[in-house]
Amino acid sequence: MSAARERWRLLETWCAEPGWNMALDEALLASADPTPVLRFYTWEPAALSLGYFQRWSTLQARAAGQVVVRRFSGGGAIHHADELTFALAAPATHALFRGEVRRSYERVHGLLARALAHHGVQADLRGARAVSSDRAATGMCFHESTDLDLVWDGAKGVGSAQRRTGGRVLHHGSIKLGRTALEEGVAVLRTHAPELTAEGLARELAEVFADGLGLELVAEGPRPEELAFARARAEFYRSPEFVRRR
Amino acid sequence: MRPNDRKYTKTHEWVKLSGEDAVFGITDFAVQELCSGNEGDLVYCDMPEPGRAVVAGETFGEIESVKAVADLNAPISGTVSEININVEEHLEVLSRDPWNAGWLIKIKPESRTLDGEGLMDAAAYEAFIAASKH
Repeated sequence: MSAARERWRLLETWCAEPGWNMALDEALLASADPTPVLRFYTWEPAALSLGYFQRWSTLQARAAGQVVVRRFSGGGAIHHADELTFALAAPATHALFRGEVRRSYERVHGLLARALAHHGVQADLRGARAVSSDRAATGMCFHESTDLDLVWDGAKGVGSAQRRTGGRVLHHGSIKLGRTALEEGVAVLRTHAPELTAEGLARELAEVFADGLGLELVAEGPRPEELAFARARAEFYRSPEFVRRR
Repeated sequence: MRPNDRKYTKTHEWVKLSGEDAVFGITDFAVQELCSGNEGDLVYCDMPEPGRAVVAGETFGEIESVKAVADLNAPISGTVSEININVEEHLEVLSRDPWNAGWLIKIKPESRTLDGEGLMDAAAYEAFIAASKH
């Protein structure tokens, strides 16, 4: 007999409003349900998200003309255009997140690298290498790499950050399909897979997560209480009070 | 063995009575989880202004490492009397001396006892950490 596979929720919310996207992730982070969640989403309209502690003045020039939100997770700013965003929400005691933050990144990025290999992308952790995507003082996540970042073609290709609150973890990830004007020099997947879509990449990632972690991924929509929270909270994430809090 | 002159929380903060104040900090385990021994990975710590009330079990501040933002939770309730400005400017002190120089805030506690729910002595905290690794 094979062991029972761990059940996770699989959420896909395409072309959603930026503030609502962040509010739904907060609902998943605050959930009393210990069932882990893997969420895939895209943004409509495209938006710039600031890290929780970033200074508005650092990004003000790049934010001109953009829809802007601030994330609950840390790190640098990300331009959510022509990309796949994913969120993982689970108890901090879950095997994926247990222990040092560094170890959790290694686990998540190991799974992402497996999925990207299907397209001939040789992605691995940056380690001590220099990457061509690094830029000084832009405030952009993709322009400031760490040894834990996932790199291919000599450049950073996945932006990621975590929030740890109330014994739970929210892990944010952004995988670039194509380049945007605000994130020059980053690694993108279309170089290797010209026809790849966000939805197609999400399906591939879901398969790798299910296989790699021994999961039963149950596709479902956000629950009524999550939708109600997100609807009520969306405005907060795009409000000047929060966007310009620092 | 970690210091036994204070109590610990399951979210890896410590509290110690000192004169009229209670002092909060985070443990070496919390620091290690956030920065894996790379003291430069701690980038920002947001602490409350003096005069603000803090409530046991609720967030009183936040700390950011290169890859994660984490809450700081109050072990006991009271009113903030002082924050450690040195930590704000030199986060590496949390790696080097989380027990003394790396204290975060002082409060005027509502109660001068450390027998609140969820607070552990050093031995219980050691056991809690050992169990959480499995």
